[in-house]
Amino acid sequence: MPADTELMPEMQYATLAQQGETAQFGMWVFLTQETIFFGALIFTYFLYRTTYPHEFAAAAKDAVLWCGTLNFVILVTSSLTMVLAINAAAQDVRPNRMVRWLIMTVVLGCLFLVVKGYEYYLDFQDKVVPVVAFEVKPGEGSAGVLFWVFYWVATGLHAIHLTIGIGLVLYMLLWRIRRGEISPAYYAPLEVVGIYWSFVDTVWLFLYPCIYLVGRS
Amino acid sequence: MTIGPEIDARRAGAFPFVVAWIVILLTAGISAWTAFLGLGVWAPVIQFGIALFQTSLLFVLFMRLKGAPSLKWVCAVSGFFWLLFLYGLSMTDYANRQGWPPTQAAGRSQLESHQDDR
Repeated sequence: MPADTELMPEMQYATLAQQGETAQFGMWVFLTQETIFFGALIFTYFLYRTTYPHEFAAAAKDAVLWCGTLNFVILVTSSLTMVLAINAAAQDVRPNRMVRWLIMTVVLGCLFLVVKGYEYYLDFQDKVVPVVAFEVKPGEGSAGVLFWVFYWVATGLHAIHLTIGIGLVLYMLLWRIRRGEISPAYYAPLEVVGIYWSFVDTVWLFLYPCIYLVGRS
Repeated sequence: MTIGPEIDARRAGAFPFVVAWIVILLTAGISAWTAFLGLGVWAPVIQFGIALFQTSLLFVLFMRLKGAPSLKWVCAVSGFFWLLFLYGLSMTDYANRQGWPPTQAAGRSQLESHQDDR
């Protein structure tokens, strides 16, 4: 869309503000069911850990703490850059500042996946991949594998969600912003992506103590 | 829109978000520290309490729930209550099961007998 074209709401909305709020509401409805999705996963973890506390503590010692902690910092920082990009979209007529923050967000998202990939490589080396390469370590008992099943399912699902988030930010950068569709007059699509991005960050806030802080003392 | 002026994207500076970012990282450090203190069952209680606090910061500031229209609050609060229903109803089942949580030996033999069956 050329920059000088006047933005108009879609025909079913009275104003752009109403259109934007509807888009945000749609994302919040989606995130409500995502809360149940990840909530059920974490509840399963709670039941396993309560049933086999010592085996879980023994198994979790092999989780790579520095990778999880580094990824925590990366992801929280990416949420900050994302929210600053939205502020820039709402305040600046020129998109330069918004684009810079969004590029930083994508870089941080990719960095998270690189660290995660390296952690998976270390996990393979350590033989903690159920079915593929798994070795029961001393003290784990046979229940230790349950911890690693949770680890792979939870971190895998989280990585898929983050990859989708990176795709959405790239879509904003390479399509919507290039076409001049994100401006102070209407930036709801970017806000919707930002809400999703911070939610994915939220999931990691809970996975971090579940996976990396067990059995350290 | 009725978003609070201090976090309204059209007016907000970086300050409240940078402060929240620092607080989240500092509390994450505290959370990691508690893992090494030998606090027993209190360690996960503190760690998940901190995670809840960090989540509320993200929801209220980064996802701009503060001062948001009530429809967004309906979604956020309903998600919270659905989780309570999920956890509450499931726990009424588990808490009333005989022998749960099992002792270490019982838990281990239960799993091993299950694996033998397979």
